[in-house]
Amino acid sequence: MANPTEKPEPIPSTPKLEPKDEREELEDINGGEEEEEEYEDEDDGKPRTREDAIADRIKAESLFRRMRETPVAVRVHDVIVKGNEKTKDHVIEAEVDVLRQATTLQELLKASKVANFNLQALDIFDAVKITLDSGPPELPGTTNVVIDVVESKSPFTGQVGTFTKAEARSSSLEGSLKYKNIFGYGDIWDGSLAYGCDHSTEVGLGMCLPRFRGRPTPFTSRVYLSTQDWLKFSSYKERALGLSLGLIASKYHELAYNIAWRNVIDPSQMASRSIRRQLGHNLVSALKYTFKFDQRNSSLRPTRGYSFISTSQIGGLAPDSRTLRFLRQEIDLRYAVPLGFYRAALNFGVAGGITFPWGSEYKSKASCIPERFFLGGNISPVCSLGGPSALWGFKTRGLGPNESRREVQDNESGDTYERDFVGGDVAVTAFADLSFDFPVKWFRDRGIHGHVFACAGNMAELSENKYRNFTATKFLETFRSSVGAGIVVPTSLFRMEINYCHILKKQEHDRAKSGFFMTFSTPS
Amino acid sequence: MEGDQETEVYTLVARKPSFDLPTACPNCLPAYIYLKLAQLPFELAFNSTFPDSDELPYFESGTYVAYNNEDGGVIEKLKKDGIVNLDSQLQSLPDYLSLKALIVSWLEEALTYEIWVGTEGISTTKIYYSDLPWVISKVLFYKQTYLAKNRLGITKENAEQREKQIYKRASEAYEALSTRLGEQKFLFEDRPSSLDAFLLSHMLFIIQALPVTSVLRCKLLEHSNLVRYAEKLKSEFLEASSSSPSPPLHSFPSSFPRKSSKPKGKPKVEKTEEEKKFKKRARFFLAAQFLAVVVYVSVMGGGSSEELEYEDED
Repeated sequence: MANPTEKPEPIPSTPKLEPKDEREELEDINGGEEEEEEYEDEDDGKPRTREDAIADRIKAESLFRRMRETPVAVRVHDVIVKGNEKTKDHVIEAEVDVLRQATTLQELLKASKVANFNLQALDIFDAVKITLDSGPPELPGTTNVVIDVVESKSPFTGQVGTFTKAEARSSSLEGSLKYKNIFGYGDIWDGSLAYGCDHSTEVGLGMCLPRFRGRPTPFTSRVYLSTQDWLKFSSYKERALGLSLGLIASKYHELAYNIAWRNVIDPSQMASRSIRRQLGHNLVSALKYTFKFDQRNSSLRPTRGYSFISTSQIGGLAPDSRTLRFLRQEIDLRYAVPLGFYRAALNFGVAGGITFPWGSEYKSKASCIPERFFLGGNISPVCSLGGPSALWGFKTRGLGPNESRREVQDNESGDTYERDFVGGDVAVTAFADLSFDFPVKWFRDRGIHGHVFACAGNMAELSENKYRNFTATKFLETFRSSVGAGIVVPTSLFRMEINYCHILKKQEHDRAKSGFFMTFSTPS
Repeated sequence: MEGDQETEVYTLVARKPSFDLPTACPNCLPAYIYLKLAQLPFELAFNSTFPDSDELPYFESGTYVAYNNEDGGVIEKLKKDGIVNLDSQLQSLPDYLSLKALIVSWLEEALTYEIWVGTEGISTTKIYYSDLPWVISKVLFYKQTYLAKNRLGITKENAEQREKQIYKRASEAYEALSTRLGEQKFLFEDRPSSLDAFLLSHMLFIIQALPVTSVLRCKLLEHSNLVRYAEKLKSEFLEASSSSPSPPLHSFPSSFPRKSSKPKGKPKVEKTEEEKKFKKRARFFLAAQFLAVVVYVSVMGGGSSEELEYEDED
């Protein structure tokens, strides 16, 4: 784990792809700009009279009638790109390749919409306009596609946002500065600074290339320096200097490689035995594959649909056998059922994860503490898709295997915790959440709704031969659980919950108590 | 969980063995030898991923931990906490302090110089970096060499002069120790002390871990009685692995007295309390401000949740 290697995705803005009239489709191609007609005859420069305009209108209307009745066969003859001074032609043409595959006018209009969206998604243009022009007169049934782009005048953009980083298991505030399209390949360079609620900080420099050596998915790379401060919970601090490469990033699949120099230290010198044994330097060289299938209608307030995410990590992929060798697998399954009144919905979620070292004597080796699972925190389980993470009512790293810290005789330190939470090699969580609107219109208009929830979770150690003591009965008997109710306030930056939790079952030393809690989550 | 008072297991955590030494690190070996001289049964555990830490070696027993960077070192801390004290009646002797000063300053300086500068770090790979990947070991090697030179006060201008001074002092120290020791078994009559641990560790390391071309090694080998002393103690205390437990040279209490082992000094703890209160108050203030902003935004934001819903067409 605990590699804050991924650059989190900001809240996406997705287009509304709803079926419309053909005329409106033509207007939509240019992102909603008001154009009455896009199918124009070749302009020979003569001034247009009122009669010309009426004739054109009649032609266009007859064309629309034909389009409604039968598919109108057409072939794209040429794609002409205008307005790009810096951006290379092939970068733009690669995004609009879908146009050349259209065989009818209807398909061409749809493809133009997709091409426009692809170009806007490159994030390097201020405006994109696609015009369908008639082809050369000697080739009937052909069309030329003219793409007009307006490159961003100011290549610098700044952004501040909140994200939920899956590895850090908490929300973070990130500010970034982007420099777009320096070399004309649609490249975006960014520098970012992120500060997390769990006292983690990260400074990073990233680069994103939409097309790298003809590959279909964008290539991202990121150099980062991060620190995570877990002194209060587990008596260690983690520093990492690394490079992460996003190799494949498509709708369902993501493959990334991360290499990092990680240093685990204990400046307080209070750590328990397991943590003490793991202090030092490590080289992490890991490949991470994520399969994500999210059919829910919303990630902040899902009321319908299901989602499944599986993350697999293998560390130690290097010729040097002294890199950290581990395997890590997480799955998360969600299901939302609408109930039909007051926009109520029942959300179920089950998540599990396991980690284990590999290599010689893997059974007796200890798994690396930063790669283990830790449950608890100030995020809502409903929003944190990605693996076992939070339970309502349990504080950050507030449950699971724990050990006594170094003995201290002072009375002054009586209020500090005396135990370290060392994490588990296997973790399971489950939750059920019933959300509903309030009858008051004021709340409904702002999306403020209520929810009643129940959750349960547990962790266990397996490495260092502790798997011999692991039994399913004991694991089930020591399950922690809580119930509660609360109000959810969605804002444009994050989802805030104010909950009252009642702890049904906890184990000795768990940091959890019944009472009011707030959680902050961003969609993940 | 371990930490049971009745069945405490003593463990010394040191760096990995090499060069036929139980631990190849020159900072860890004195503690190991000290415990062996005291005939205290203990287990040896290894940490091979933290070459630049000054916490190693550390001694632990349940929740009690004695780090090397506290209270003057592991050996001093074990003496202070009453776990094992070989010097109880020797500290009042006049030449105890002077011998100690000689060993822990001049000899240690000479050893540090020889490891990092004199032999250009040839032995360090096996001592410190055997379990670390090449990239990390290279960076840490440069870092530790730089820190060692800083500690010894070596600069480009005074390098030669400093080298001469260090070797000269080492020679004089060996001469003095050789004269003091004679043919005795230990430095102080017939009882081992912590100074024997330091001296034996220094000598074993130089003889076994440094290359034969080492200047310091040559100087040490000139004193045959010192070499005999080292060999005798090594065979008696370090290589007798399955010897029957002889009565300990010095009795130690079964439960050590509770001594405060604060990691930081008292004034700093008080300051932390003040800082904690201040931080708590600041946090409440910020949280209240934040909540006010959020409520304002959510009231003025309106139906922001609507924009996040979308229909997916496949």
